[in-house]
Amino acid sequence: MKLKRFLIRYYPPGIILEYEKGGQLRTKSIDLLELSPDSDPDELVAEIRLTEPLVTETRVEQVKQLILRLKQKLSQREHQNVYLFKTLQAHILPLTNVAFNKSGSSFITGSYDRTCRIWDTVSGAELHTLEGHRNVVYAIAFNNPYGDKVATGSFDKTCKLWSAETGKCLHTFRGHMAEIVCLAFSPQGTLVATGSMDTTARLWDVEGGEEVATLTGHTAEVITVSFNTVGDLLLTGSFDHTVSLWEVASGRRVHTLMGHSGEITNVQLNWDCSLILSGSMDKTTKLWSVVDGKCVTTLTGHTEEVLDVCFDLTGQLIATASADGTARVYNAATYQCLVILEGHKGEISKISFSPQGSKLLTASSDKTARLWDVASGLCLQVLEGHADEIFSCAFNYEGDTIITGSKDNSCRIWR
Amino acid sequence: MGLLSILRKLKSSPDQEVRILLLGLDNGGKTTLLKQLASEDISHITPTQGFNIKSVQSQGFKLNVWDIGGQRKIRPYWRNYFENTDVLIYVIDSADRKRFEETGQELAELLDEEKLNGVPVLIFANKQDLLTAAPASEIAEGLNLHTIRDRVWQIQSCSALTGEGIQEGMNWVCKSVNAKKK
Repeated sequence: MKLKRFLIRYYPPGIILEYEKGGQLRTKSIDLLELSPDSDPDELVAEIRLTEPLVTETRVEQVKQLILRLKQKLSQREHQNVYLFKTLQAHILPLTNVAFNKSGSSFITGSYDRTCRIWDTVSGAELHTLEGHRNVVYAIAFNNPYGDKVATGSFDKTCKLWSAETGKCLHTFRGHMAEIVCLAFSPQGTLVATGSMDTTARLWDVEGGEEVATLTGHTAEVITVSFNTVGDLLLTGSFDHTVSLWEVASGRRVHTLMGHSGEITNVQLNWDCSLILSGSMDKTTKLWSVVDGKCVTTLTGHTEEVLDVCFDLTGQLIATASADGTARVYNAATYQCLVILEGHKGEISKISFSPQGSKLLTASSDKTARLWDVASGLCLQVLEGHADEIFSCAFNYEGDTIITGSKDNSCRIWR
Repeated sequence: MGLLSILRKLKSSPDQEVRILLLGLDNGGKTTLLKQLASEDISHITPTQGFNIKSVQSQGFKLNVWDIGGQRKIRPYWRNYFENTDVLIYVIDSADRKRFEETGQELAELLDEEKLNGVPVLIFANKQDLLTAAPASEIAEGLNLHTIRDRVWQIQSCSALTGEGIQEGMNWVCKSVNAKKK
């Protein structure tokens, strides 16, 4: 094994080692999820050396410099407000979902008008219209971190793969028997997972355009799919009240998580792939152990359905959004509720952490999106202006730009 | 509930849930009708750019009513919503005689849609509060409704503004759903 170079990863903090083994270039990551502005870099390097043989004596200074840079990035406080930068009359019918590419230079919007559009974030110009679906384009994704492809899942039962550069359709994945309502690229960008109202999830090969596996077992609609960080596991959540964990290579079901008494609304794995988070219409959020599939704890407090849940990028915090109009932040290790975010005048349907983990973004039926300070639970900003319910919202990777997509057919860029 | 509620209402409905599609030309009064059904304020209604969904209880049923914008440029997208429809309600502005032909054509095309095969259709002859409104009988004749043989249908005169006739129409909707689900 020969170390070639180091790469830095800001969110979540980590150092990637690029090395050669048996003539092949490989990478592995040293996650520094607990890094804080007070961490002692010398201590950290010593700790890393205990477990990582590639970091030899001669590399110590280099690693220390990287840690210092990560620390510096962490202590950059992002106090600045965002302002409405542009309103795009993006579609002729309501938007569904929105997503950024990794650099944030462009973003995509899906719509009831059967198209997905690619936009330039800075100019607000439309780069491509992805036309071809015969019904609502509901689920959309960039193959981040690469960002050269877009996948779209439609109510027309197909999933299409597009070149983000030319706007050309590369493949149409056929096989689902009902609407496709969720999708995700594997972290390597080699697979697309889709979930459908037909109760199955499917895996598709990006290169060849063929179906790789049908994941059957759910007894109702599959409404959320997500890969773990490494990409060897897939998580699905269903209206059948259960969550399933699948081995990607074999298509085998590893665990079925039973315990919720209502439809699942969202599921997610934490960064180190030790915990599964699930939100449900039963008003609760549950945490599950990946190892044995057992429920670790049930987070209660919401008085109505839990509509969205997420981990922060390091996996230390959990946020939940509810139809009761509030959101909550919990400590993922102690399960303690840290703050309650109050202020929305309607249901909160989407919630996400800024990549830094210091802010939360919520979208609501009250036509506003809001930014919150995670530590204090105070509302920092109300993003007002949409004429109808906000269906989707997203941060870019730097955490300094936000897009909101609304039922009012427009999307707004805030920065 | 955002997008999630749309997915929930997209599922093939359980026995006691009914999916109703509200279609018709722009300015026919679909949104006013929907709001009237949900007992909401009808004083500030603007042209529907996309769609509105409301759930109302009636005769033991939960009626999930989808009101879809009727402007010409978005009519081609009506078919986005055809799947799993239990009853079609078609709303006509009875006072807008200039557009009877256009509305008749749109209705005929809907009745030819494979996904709406056999779906009961209720035609609301709306805006009867206006003096110039054509009576339901005249509209039925003009649209050749008597030639519809592949489904049950009904025409009901109403005023979405005053609420008159709406309950009668909805009673017919529930009756035809009952007959179909048996």
